[in-house]
Amino acid sequence: MNRVGFVYHSDYLLHAAPFDHPESPSRLLAIVEHLSSNGIADRMIPIEPVYPGESDILRVHDPEYLRKLEAACRRGDTTLDAEDTYLCRNSYTIALLSAGGAIAGAEAVATGMVRRAFCAVRPPGHHADRHTGMGFCLLNNVAVAARYLQAKHGISRVFIVDWDVHHGNGTQSIFLEDPSVFFFSIHEHPSFLYPGTGRRWETGKGAGEGTTINAPMSPGTGDEEYRLAFEQMLQPAVERFRPEIIMISAGFDAHREDPLADIEVTTEGYRFMTRFVCELAERHCGGKVVSVLEGGYEIPSLVASVAIHVQELLGT
Amino acid sequence: MFVVRRMKKHVVTISPAASLYEAREIMRGNNIHQLPVAGENGKLVGILSNRDIREATLPVGILRGATEEEAVELLKKTAVEKVMTRKVTVATLTDTLEDAIVLLHDFRINALPVVDDKGRVAGIITRTDVLKAFIEALGVGEISSRLEVVVPDRPGGLAKIVSIIKGFNVNITSILTTGHAEAGKRTIFFRVATINVLPLKQTIQEAGFEILDPSLYHV
Repeated sequence: MNRVGFVYHSDYLLHAAPFDHPESPSRLLAIVEHLSSNGIADRMIPIEPVYPGESDILRVHDPEYLRKLEAACRRGDTTLDAEDTYLCRNSYTIALLSAGGAIAGAEAVATGMVRRAFCAVRPPGHHADRHTGMGFCLLNNVAVAARYLQAKHGISRVFIVDWDVHHGNGTQSIFLEDPSVFFFSIHEHPSFLYPGTGRRWETGKGAGEGTTINAPMSPGTGDEEYRLAFEQMLQPAVERFRPEIIMISAGFDAHREDPLADIEVTTEGYRFMTRFVCELAERHCGGKVVSVLEGGYEIPSLVASVAIHVQELLGT
Repeated sequence: MFVVRRMKKHVVTISPAASLYEAREIMRGNNIHQLPVAGENGKLVGILSNRDIREATLPVGILRGATEEEAVELLKKTAVEKVMTRKVTVATLTDTLEDAIVLLHDFRINALPVVDDKGRVAGIITRTDVLKAFIEALGVGEISSRLEVVVPDRPGGLAKIVSIIKGFNVNITSILTTGHAEAGKRTIFFRVATINVLPLKQTIQEAGFEILDPSLYHV
């Protein structure tokens, strides 16, 4: 059994919408209760998230955006855009703690304290770009942690696998011209699903040309098509890039039961994807995997998928 | 949706007396495939495409033993006015983008010089410009979700759906409507600036409209 860190803080439940919203605290609560009651959490090493320094966030985000976000929360604004990306008075603080959770998970893996980590954080992050939050996301947790690893641990090559059903447009734009961070995203085809980006010819720009791969999937596809994309696109990309660590933007909304999208992945699909990424990590970067929660909005399938994901990280 | 807004205003032209060699160099240097030919006072007298130039050198190309130098020689001594198309299909400054699209399509051409009321070259609009306008009209690449609704082909359908969308406080970034496969119905294509289209779709369905669901297109 691998030593696997589990990042969680009950303060993550304090970011809540003043109206009905799919990205609710109950998602995380259900995950934590399930992992605890099934004894899975006992086999993991609890890791406390830390509040990041402002410099940790500024490696990714504009200072103007941070100030705007902080002011909006203090003022009591209820949304950042329309009603997608809601805010409450705690949201700025909890967004920092969410990014801090990804940092803490990455730190524990980089130092060898654990072999892998699962960061059960919210709000999610992969839609947030340098200048603004969107699509339920305030700060880009994975991007902040990737930059932290590069700055604090001298890691030069980070590979991000984003299997949330929505394209990780924020993460892509942050690293678009950066050859040191590889961004691989598999998601429902942008013609049919938010955010409408992530077409197959978006492959990076300038010095970063070739270190972005998008695998858009047609509505109705599932485990089999995902397996082919992992074998034919992800594996060669990892082999070529030779990362020192792999991060996962782990959304579970490609599940067939999830109401927000039209992809038919099953819990077994998440088992396959997790195992596949872990095996790539074993071969290329000493098994180092940092998984950070993104979306997943149908509670029973979310909970079941996360449990399988974590069990595969544990290797049991 | 007007030609003036979408045309390139800095047009490279060539004089009818210039050589094909000059024309070819200008096209290569500017990465363009056609040159409006402007005579006195900038009046449009013809258009020259890179295909016209290729065809002009074709005799040299198929001659046994002919060299590149001979082709260049031929280009240098042939005037633009000898091979240019004189009957030019043009757009005017008051034309709409629709006019331009129909002209490009019906006359099977790649570029339309735009002329002012004195017949002078004022701009050029190409198929690429039109495609770009269409990409923008569809909202491709803008952060948004797609929504396609089938409505009865009579007044009021669009208004009802728009007011439903407004009720969700969601911004519409694109609207397009076309005939539907079924007679008596229209399809309305929206892009809406929200990740969470589910409640929107449900409300539209409850109001009696049909959503074109991508799951219906499964292969």
